[in-house]
Amino acid sequence: MKKIVTGNETAALAAKLARVQVVSAYPITPQTVIVENLADMIGQGELKAKYMPVESEHSAMACCIGASMAGARAFTASSSQGLTYMHEMLHYAAGARVPVVMVNCNRALAPPWNLYCDHTDSLAQRDTGWIQYYCADVQDVLDAILIAYGVAEQTLLPVMINLEGFYLTHTSEVLDVPDQKAVDVFLPPYRPSNKLDVDDPKTFGNVCGTDLFASIKYKRHCDTLSVEKLWDQTAAKFYSHFNRSHSAVETYQTEDANVCIVGIGTATGAMRLAVDRLRKEGLKAGSLRLAMIRPFPIEGFKKAAINAEHVIVVDRDVSFGAEGIVAQEVRAALFDHHKDIKLTGFIAGIGGNDISVETIVPLVRQAISGDGAAAAAGTTLWAEVLP
Amino acid sequence: MQLKKSIESLSDLPTMPSTIDTMAWNQTGDWRYLTPLVANKLAPCSQNCPAGIPIPGYLSAVRNGDVQSGLTLLLAHNPLPGLTGRLCYHPCQTKCVRRKIDRAISVRKIERFLADLGTDVKIEKSEKIDKQVVVIGSGPLGLSCAFYLGCRGCRVVVLDPCDQAGGALVNLLPKKIDPRVMAYEINRLIRLADIKLETGAVIDFDTPGELLSKTDLIILDPTGLSEDFSVPAGAVAFNPFDDETVAGDIIAAKLSNNLKPFKAPMIAHYIAAGHLAAQKVFDCLIMRSGQRGLAPSDLDLPRQAVNMDDIKIERFLVSDLAAEAEAKQEGTWDRERALQETERCLSCGTCNLCLQCVSFCPDASIWLDENKTAVTVDLDHCKGCGICAYECPRGVITMEEMST
Repeated sequence: MKKIVTGNETAALAAKLARVQVVSAYPITPQTVIVENLADMIGQGELKAKYMPVESEHSAMACCIGASMAGARAFTASSSQGLTYMHEMLHYAAGARVPVVMVNCNRALAPPWNLYCDHTDSLAQRDTGWIQYYCADVQDVLDAILIAYGVAEQTLLPVMINLEGFYLTHTSEVLDVPDQKAVDVFLPPYRPSNKLDVDDPKTFGNVCGTDLFASIKYKRHCDTLSVEKLWDQTAAKFYSHFNRSHSAVETYQTEDANVCIVGIGTATGAMRLAVDRLRKEGLKAGSLRLAMIRPFPIEGFKKAAINAEHVIVVDRDVSFGAEGIVAQEVRAALFDHHKDIKLTGFIAGIGGNDISVETIVPLVRQAISGDGAAAAAGTTLWAEVLP
Repeated sequence: MQLKKSIESLSDLPTMPSTIDTMAWNQTGDWRYLTPLVANKLAPCSQNCPAGIPIPGYLSAVRNGDVQSGLTLLLAHNPLPGLTGRLCYHPCQTKCVRRKIDRAISVRKIERFLADLGTDVKIEKSEKIDKQVVVIGSGPLGLSCAFYLGCRGCRVVVLDPCDQAGGALVNLLPKKIDPRVMAYEINRLIRLADIKLETGAVIDFDTPGELLSKTDLIILDPTGLSEDFSVPAGAVAFNPFDDETVAGDIIAAKLSNNLKPFKAPMIAHYIAAGHLAAQKVFDCLIMRSGQRGLAPSDLDLPRQAVNMDDIKIERFLVSDLAAEAEAKQEGTWDRERALQETERCLSCGTCNLCLQCVSFCPDASIWLDENKTAVTVDLDHCKGCGICAYECPRGVITMEEMST
């Protein structure tokens, strides 16, 4: 069935289709609609789940962790300040190996206060151990949440599905809504072998000495690294059910590209239009969307970027004192894999500015020509900055 | 320490590590610097009552259908409940824990119900000791002092130069206090404590009669005597709240400034003053006669009421009296209404095994005893977080510094 819905409505619908059993969340713009819709669904009896209103995001995640440990499929959603308030519990969720799926609506961090899109909130949670996925459109939101539960419950790691505030959360698009029955076949109920159980009491998250600590962490690291492959396998299974594909890396005209524009989220659409325009001008450009940032999809990335001589990364975020966070990730992935490769980072679209073809094309030209003070100095180029 | 399972390879390591046995070996009790003390305590209402009346105690008796015990307990701490039930500013209700839930218990209304119920209480004659005390003035302080001395077995005579007993209370308007109610209250007080009251008495210290000259001690009641009453030479001022020991043969009770001039809503303070004065006078009389050494425990508990056995109330038919009381006093609650209200009392200060502490303890370190009469803290594992004390709705659990 096709519907015209916003990203937020889609996220709530996806949680319902996944038959989540516990929802615990604290409202925050631009996420509020998701939890309002879920509260409605649960209140109306459309979704058989426990809705736990809480006093903070920290508690919301704590509830999801507890619910998941007891064997329930748990869901939450947050954004920006809320997500950063949740930070401690994010580490706990990954360490406790609970397959919680969370939607984060990317929004700028204060001060100054700004409710619009910016990826710094979620990218600052890179090292918490969560799998991070960045959606490109409304259909991607629904499908990624369903795939996320499949991946999370196989590998016992939490997944954060990122929606860009307003660009995705509040924009209506056509959505193909799958049948509940078909979703049930793709995503069977969560049945963990090890869980909190009053009939078989155990303590989780207890003290661990030096003898096993490193081994436990190493095991988690290996499991997280394997998620790139697992995601693509699960996405392939999803394709066989629903005929839609969502891999960890999405490429556009990269086969023969000398210049590869890399980005995350909805702006990758504009990047593809920019590629088309640059190709008309005779530049062999291609575009690469990193749907996943953690684990970094190194295999997919290397395969796609193998021919590039100049990689241009568009970041809707910044690591102050360094460069764009995605640029850092890409730089690390390229190191020692490819010789004589140039990387230019753009900071664009932070705090809700639109990243359009008109933003990208001039920056690419500037990067390639080497004109301009910033390019010459080899530093990151900033769009939308006062002269 | 328990046996250890050895893990030789990564594949042996579970995805989500958990204990394979209990964590009881990890005795976290030594992290604690504050210890939960589970002990019954004075309820906030009682703490705030000037007369220290054990309010949850008598409410509980009434709730359980033992109205007689409830009344006895009340009278043991407050011999004029019909007056306090009408006049007192009820600081007990200000501190009632139920205010956080809905509204305070109407302690004053229940007090009044009980008082009106017991106006016809009969008593047994109590045994006397060989001590004679004269209280001059029959205000609330004097009556209270006389009551507690009488309950302790002293022969007490209250002399009032006025024709009507009650001291400063007599001047109150009838709409504040019905003169008949005051008469009931004073009559019950003198009957309970087996004391004598003489109004319209001629008091002449220059030519004292047999009574005044042979008495062991004379107490002057500032709430019972007019300001122009000439205090005899040789009278020693005594503040019942501040002064520990009694000196001289004539004691002029004096009050601190906040209790002067007489304020009817402060009646419980005057009753408390009379109670303290009685206790200190009694200790003085005993010490002077060498009959008994002063026990330190008596000094430690200056507000302890008389032993309930000292008030001897004969069994009476509560239902008959209740019906009578309802007919008598307009504005006094009927039995059903009063009982309903007592059911709202949380019995603060007394553990009723609600087990909130047990369900909230994050370390499962507080539990119900096997015989199900009390909760016990597992001090080997309690980290002293204090959640039990915070959650205890009755304030029974407090966090205390304790040496281990």
